Amino acid sequence: MTTTGPADAHIADRGYRRYTGPRLGPRAAKRALYVASLQRALGLRRKARYKVIPILVAVMAYLPAAVFVGVSALVPQEVGRNLQVDYGNYYGFITAAIVLFVAATVPDVMCTDRRTGMLGLYLAAPLTRDGYLAAKSAAVTTVLAVVTLGPPLLLLIGYSLVEAGPAWPVDGVVLVVRMIAAGLTVALWYTALAMAVCCLTDRRGLASAGIALGTLGSAAVVSALVDGAKLSPWLRAADLFNLPFELVRRIYGQPAEFPDLATVPLFLAALAWVVAAAVLVRTTYQRLQVTK
Amino acid sequence: MDAVVEARGVVKRYGATTALSGATVTIGGGVTGLLGSNGAGKTTLLGMLLGLHRPDSGELRVLGLDPSKAGPEVRARVGYAPEHHELPPDMSAYDLVRHLAEVHGLPHREAVDRASDVLWLVGLGEERLRPVGTMSTGQRQRVKLAAALGHDPLLLLLDEPTDGLDPTQRDAMLALIKRVGHEFGIDIVLSSHLLDEVERICDQVVILAGGVVAAAGPLEELRGSGTGLVVEVDGGAEHLAAALHTRGLPVSLVGPRRVEVGPIDGDDGPVYDIVRDVVAEVGVPLRNLRARRASLEDVFLGLDHSGDGLGSNPEPAAAAAGTATSAGPAR
Repeated sequence: MTTTGPADAHIADRGYRRYTGPRLGPRAAKRALYVASLQRALGLRRKARYKVIPILVAVMAYLPAAVFVGVSALVPQEVGRNLQVDYGNYYGFITAAIVLFVAATVPDVMCTDRRTGMLGLYLAAPLTRDGYLAAKSAAVTTVLAVVTLGPPLLLLIGYSLVEAGPAWPVDGVVLVVRMIAAGLTVALWYTALAMAVCCLTDRRGLASAGIALGTLGSAAVVSALVDGAKLSPWLRAADLFNLPFELVRRIYGQPAEFPDLATVPLFLAALAWVVAAAVLVRTTYQRLQVTK
Repeated sequence: MDAVVEARGVVKRYGATTALSGATVTIGGGVTGLLGSNGAGKTTLLGMLLGLHRPDSGELRVLGLDPSKAGPEVRARVGYAPEHHELPPDMSAYDLVRHLAEVHGLPHREAVDRASDVLWLVGLGEERLRPVGTMSTGQRQRVKLAAALGHDPLLLLLDEPTDGLDPTQRDAMLALIKRVGHEFGIDIVLSSHLLDEVERICDQVVILAGGVVAAAGPLEELRGSGTGLVVEVDGGAEHLAAALHTRGLPVSLVGPRRVEVGPIDGDDGPVYDIVRDVVAEVGVPLRNLRARRASLEDVFLGLDHSGDGLGSNPEPAAAAAGTATSAGPAR
């Protein structure tokens, strides 16, 4: 029998190493939490089943854009121009995908930390409660922008490539600014709304149902009150589903769905909703006991 | 030894409930047991050490900093393992420890290296890629310890680290904590309501009762300097007890092989001589002769847990509102 290897071979015990390098502080803590929240929402570094819903919903949001661009590329330009969709009206094709995406991803990002005790571990790190909420809301807004900003941008790029886009640079730049403003408005709206619902429960399913019912339910109730009972059209400011898309139409300068309502008060009403949601979320998190 | 934690008159109220009503203590290095019954204020105090709750009054310093003003700086150098066992079930132990090390400010590369290292140190090297949700309670306790160690803290706060463990797992966890405290040189404050585990691994103890520090100090001091003698013999304990009684000593027979002598006022030196002579006269085989000290349980039970003051056991109570350091005397 022979042995191989050096005679002095041994198992190395590295023991416990002290860390003497830099400690990056609260800013790095927020960045790490932001990245981890993005990954969680999109199913990255997770099993395949966690990627299914984000991918499906993203396909639902991007597919119409791909189809419109394809049609523009394949049919003659004069016919294709009639088949083009306005950038603001594109949201009409993806509202269901947006609400579904919000209901599927935001509760996973927000509720899981409280249910699994991670919130306590985060707050035992250099993060403050406000820092935690800032990182989380930035992550949620970024994730939602994937479906509120990405598809119109794809549409713009596609149309430009098949020479059906705006005249560059002036019209193109104005359009991009409007596109970013509209995409971020919808993303911020649903960030505030979804985080407010999620702060009321640590159960993901309940939060998902609350988001879907809250938005769609408010639209049904408001419609019944305004269109059916002929009450004040200002009640439409309580339509949590249609309000952000009405703002989108105004940002793009398209005909309003709610012509009775002036633009500035409508924006202020939306801002009031967002501020109220932010106050609710912050107050709730400030009061949470996390060391149990 | 520098104080790791200093509290002076710390008061914390939640509405009508007073969680801490003037806690005063200085905790030095080493492994410190934070003892108290449920509701005594242990978890509240740990939360305040992390800067998660602001004291209503009083002063608190952790590693020389005020956690209510410099919370992020304190928390960057403190590791915390909470009492609960819930952790993200779909996350691997490695991902969890790495992520928390990054959140504590370590660069990504360093967090990756240390996550593996600390998981090996706590005995989960082979299991590090398993989702936490598939792990036993004992393994989760180890994951929590690894997560608290990942960023190389100066101070570890462990809230009931043996909760939910069977006796074998508990022994292993206590050995691990002892190793962290004594070999790795990390100071530890360990909250527990189990006296024997604190007695086994802690250098000093802080006992909370009714929201105040009822006693604090090194274990030896809390147990007192001796309240008499313990005599252990191989049979014939009843004859020995009778003979000692005839010499005028306060004696109690504790089982067939053990006699306790005391309490003794003043110097107990002559009593040792008397006991030695009586043992020789009676002719019983002597196994052990030592000073009788209070167990931690005696100390704990001797305290007044209402928070109004101290209990009937005068010796351990002398360390109340004092200094829990392994070097300094109790106040």
